[in-house]
Amino acid sequence: MSPLPWLVAAWLFGIGLYGIVTSRNYLHLIGCLSVVQSATYVLLLSAGFRWGAGPPIFQDQPPGSLVVDPVVQALVLTDIVVGAAVTALLLVLVLQVHKRRGTVDPDALRPLDR
Amino acid sequence: MRPRLLLALAAALVLVPAALLLAFRMPEFGAHPLPYGDAATALMLHERHVTNMVSGVNFDLRAIDTLGEEIMLLAAVGGAVMLLRGARGEGGQRRAAAIPGRPIPRRSEAVVLLCRLLAPVTLLFGLYVVLHAQLTPGGGFQGGVIIASAMLLVWLGEGYAAWRRMLPGPLLHALEGGGAALYALAGLAGLALGDAFLANVLPPGESGSLLSGGLIPLLNLGVALAVAGGFAMLFLEFLEETRAPEEGEE
Repeated sequence: MSPLPWLVAAWLFGIGLYGIVTSRNYLHLIGCLSVVQSATYVLLLSAGFRWGAGPPIFQDQPPGSLVVDPVVQALVLTDIVVGAAVTALLLVLVLQVHKRRGTVDPDALRPLDR
Repeated sequence: MRPRLLLALAAALVLVPAALLLAFRMPEFGAHPLPYGDAATALMLHERHVTNMVSGVNFDLRAIDTLGEEIMLLAAVGGAVMLLRGARGEGGQRRAAAIPGRPIPRRSEAVVLLCRLLAPVTLLFGLYVVLHAQLTPGGGFQGGVIIASAMLLVWLGEGYAAWRRMLPGPLLHALEGGGAALYALAGLAGLALGDAFLANVLPPGESGSLLSGGLIPLLNLGVALAVAGGFAMLFLEFLEETRAPEEGEE
């Protein structure tokens, strides 16, 4: 049971990376990049988990009650925001590649050939 | 075989055994001490009177990191907008894009009604999430995205032309830039009072009240404005991409 969360993170990273390596379409590749990134969410949240602890919100539980680690949750929030912004930027790049070269297959693109 | 695959296989030979070894050597899941989390929780709860620890960490302990994240968001949105505009320039059309010979079907009344009901409620919910950043789950990033969704509901219900009239481009630019500027300027307050940059210099207030947390609500407001403006701007530029170029444009 104990290594299961870490294995899930490694599995997500692995299938995402497999998709990136074998991808024939940049849109699909960006989706795979999001899967790789979700591995980091699982890893960080698992690292901050604690059995029997509540969420790090004290609005409805007394001060001093046991809570999970808020620091890694804040890191995941940062991670998600950065991921969303970078995904938008990458999609724009795909759009420009398609406009100029007429293809979104990474293998069909060669640097500097016109 | 493609070079990408060869490179990945070579890397996997080393990395897969290492990852498996690490997964079984990691600390016991859910049963190891969390010194940093506990320290942050105690500090935020008793000295800053914050009840949402995640906001406390993001906008007080890691406030400078969040400024960096904010600037990264600004750069990504700016880069996307610049690439999309290209030679098109700033000129935006106030009519919806139309393909000649293809009629634009009218929106169904059900969609219009649903959007008119949902857009104000979504906006209100977004503002609620932003204002209660230091109290309950949520904050500037989450609330900003919800506010941007409310803007998109206006587009869905009222159509492109009405959407552009209600939310002109310069307004979205001002939200995006102004929000980031508000965050950075709020950080200068600490310097002016002889403290560190982004130090939480305002009084912590009463725990559980809207004005608790010192500088945290102000920083959240800046982030919310920037995120709402930025995501709406991205959507606008992607929509502009679908219309046919005018005379003299790329």
